[in-house]
Amino acid sequence: MLLKVEQIETYIDQHHILQGVSLEVPAGQVTVLLGRNGAGKTTTLRTIMGMTPPAKGQIIFQGEAIHQLPTHAIAQKGIGYVPEDQGIFADLTVEENIKVAMHKEDAETKDRLAWILDLFPDLKSFWERKAGNLSGGQKQMLSLSRALVQNNPLILVDEPSKGLAPVVVDKVVDALKEIKDHTTILLVEQNFAMASALGDRFYILDNGQTQLSGSMQELAQNEELKRKWLGIA
Amino acid sequence: MDVLFNLTLNGLATGMLIFLLAAGLTLIFGLMHVLNFAHGGMFAWGAYTGVWVYAQTGSFTIGVICAVIVGVILGGLMERWIIRPVYGNTMQQILITVGVMLVLSEMLKVVWGPNQLSSHPPELLAGSWQVGGFIIIKYRLLVILVGLLVLIGVQLLLTRTKLGLIVRAGVSDPEMVQALGIDIRRVFMIVFMLGAALAALGGALLGPYSGVIHADMGMEFAILAFIVVVIGGMGSIPGSALAAVIVGLAGAFMNYYVPDLSLAVNLLLMLLVLIFRPQGLFGAKGVQQ
Amino acid sequence: MIRKLTAPPIWYGIIAAILLILPLVNDSRSTLILMTQIFIFAVFAMSYDLLLGYTGIISFGHAMFFGLGAYTVGIWMNRQDESLFSLLMAILVTVILCALLGYVLGVVTLRLKSHFYAMLTLAVAGLFQVGAEKWRSLTMGNDGFTFSIPEWLMDRQLFYYIAFFFMVGGFLLLRRFTLSPLGRILQAIRENEQRAESLGYRVLHYKVISNIVAGIVAGLAGLMYGLALRFVNTGVFGVDITLDGLLMTIIGGVGTLVGSIIGAALIQIAHDWLTDLAQVHWLFERWIILFGIIYILAVRFFPQGIVGSIQRLADRWKERKM
Repeated sequence: MLLKVEQIETYIDQHHILQGVSLEVPAGQVTVLLGRNGAGKTTTLRTIMGMTPPAKGQIIFQGEAIHQLPTHAIAQKGIGYVPEDQGIFADLTVEENIKVAMHKEDAETKDRLAWILDLFPDLKSFWERKAGNLSGGQKQMLSLSRALVQNNPLILVDEPSKGLAPVVVDKVVDALKEIKDHTTILLVEQNFAMASALGDRFYILDNGQTQLSGSMQELAQNEELKRKWLGIA
Repeated sequence: MDVLFNLTLNGLATGMLIFLLAAGLTLIFGLMHVLNFAHGGMFAWGAYTGVWVYAQTGSFTIGVICAVIVGVILGGLMERWIIRPVYGNTMQQILITVGVMLVLSEMLKVVWGPNQLSSHPPELLAGSWQVGGFIIIKYRLLVILVGLLVLIGVQLLLTRTKLGLIVRAGVSDPEMVQALGIDIRRVFMIVFMLGAALAALGGALLGPYSGVIHADMGMEFAILAFIVVVIGGMGSIPGSALAAVIVGLAGAFMNYYVPDLSLAVNLLLMLLVLIFRPQGLFGAKGVQQ
Repeated sequence: MIRKLTAPPIWYGIIAAILLILPLVNDSRSTLILMTQIFIFAVFAMSYDLLLGYTGIISFGHAMFFGLGAYTVGIWMNRQDESLFSLLMAILVTVILCALLGYVLGVVTLRLKSHFYAMLTLAVAGLFQVGAEKWRSLTMGNDGFTFSIPEWLMDRQLFYYIAFFFMVGGFLLLRRFTLSPLGRILQAIRENEQRAESLGYRVLHYKVISNIVAGIVAGLAGLMYGLALRFVNTGVFGVDITLDGLLMTIIGGVGTLVGSIIGAALIQIAHDWLTDLAQVHWLFERWIILFGIIYILAVRFFPQGIVGSIQRLADRWKERKM
């Protein structure tokens, strides 16, 4: 198991946001976190990254406990993060945004960068532009590229479809489909079509707890479960 | 004509000294959102160290180097033991850095006594040149030169190095920088030490420039640096440089023509900027609530 | 969070009684002067506490109100006769000027984030100091000037009592203010400004009120200071005055009012005592360094100050007994 999250509880200020989240992310798959707004999906990702460290429970990545490490050390272990707001450095150029993430400049990294730029040709054409001027979809691609260029065994992707036009969402889905052959993905997604197109397994979060898990295929066919937990008719 | 030229040169030199102080202040604020009220203390410590070592060794250069080293050490200690523990708590930060300022300036009086120290430029830089009817005081030229070099150096550091890249990324989103595997606390510390070193350098240059130094001038220059940082825009180095020149020139000219109003003009300038363009000339962020 | 003052009223009574008897037992000039200074600075520090502890505003220019009060009474008494009527007029003018200053400054600058507000107040107070230095016709510049006050006020013992009741009055008034509905709103703002805003309070409005009240009280403290010395110079606008208020409040205990009184007593007594010791060793003249270090440690480790820490200990002790 690449990542194991066991009964984590997280507080933000005095609010008890996560009240027992457990999940397992097998290598080579796309695991999707589903749930209503405010269920704790983003906080789960942030807790894995050490941005809101858990008060209880543990997080094991590649057999190593990481829940007490600071964010940068967790990232160095090989977890990439693509936040909901993309976390783009707006005043930096596209090139510079990627450079911040490139800790090595060896041949392997350069090859990977070339592959990424093939995947997202837009970035190549805006290479020296300020990242703040990119469109929402391009920002998403840039954010993904930063996580990919580091060759992370796992990347956490938070709602990549949010605020994007349907055509652009399709592009992102295509890109993630190619990316999933190279790395493991833990995906938070509200857009069920996108989630089912990409996901292998799912977890449903509600009230800060993991409620349900299974294969994405089963969920897609089970209307009752979808209605009950996700409010999808 | 002569007067105008002299005032301009004088204003530029003063502006550059203020810039050395403001550069650190603005970088530290931009990156860490800490307004360091003890920054003037670093400046004063630099001034005293510079003047004292110069007097002891007879070498101005060694004095300046020692001042910068003292700045680096003070900055490092302060970041680790004062700033880091209260990181993220604005109120505590403001209160604690003021306390440090108080202690730093009192410590100066403990070490060097309460009286002012006097200093003079080294022989090589004493006196002036006469160029086509204009008198150029050599030391002033040095101060301007050093200020320009620092400006260029800091700009190059920010735009051409990986450290600078990380600093600029950190200004826009420090949390994301960490999520990319970079220990931002180390970057904070380096920037803090760099800022303190520049302030100390400014102090060391001030000694021979003004002739005398005293413990309270840390606060006086810090106020000017605050004004500069606000006018230039928090976090912007070119903004600070431009604002420092404006404030320096305004100070020099007002001091000559309407001496009673010199500080007032700068304060009014800052007030106007805060009210009408709170992000400063070069647009920075997070001024208003 | 609203703290109840746990010290039983009987202690206040005892201390007040001691202070009332003191001048009858010990009427040495130096003791009376020291105690009078404590009372006056206690009021100044309490007004600072209203900003810092009850509203969450950090000002580094609070001395501007203090100095305004001191200069107003000095200039007024010099220009008018030295009658009780002129004194009352001087008080009125001080209140009006400080209220105006507090209002204008508050409206213009309290929108800014706390760093900027702190910095701006530092600069504005500096402006006042420079103003006092340069406007020679009115202020006699840097050296300042002496002025006369009504004959009967020069009696040190009487002035002691006036200052004492000034402090008691200031304390009761500010306490009343902080416990009023308005005071509670201020504390809600300090605790969580966004929440107060989202509850529909116009935060700026309340901050300005707090700034005005604190300004008036500080101005009156400055006026008393001027009367006590019968002399005023640009030092009353100095950063050190503000820093004194800050040290007193933080060391004594933020948000307690009583803490400011205790802090004022501690610092004034230490100032007096350690300055005397300076003849023994010059290092004692740098007594402020000691307080600076205590202050830093207090901000870092005991943000509640002396009074707050004692209250916490007392609470814990009570809990254990139960």
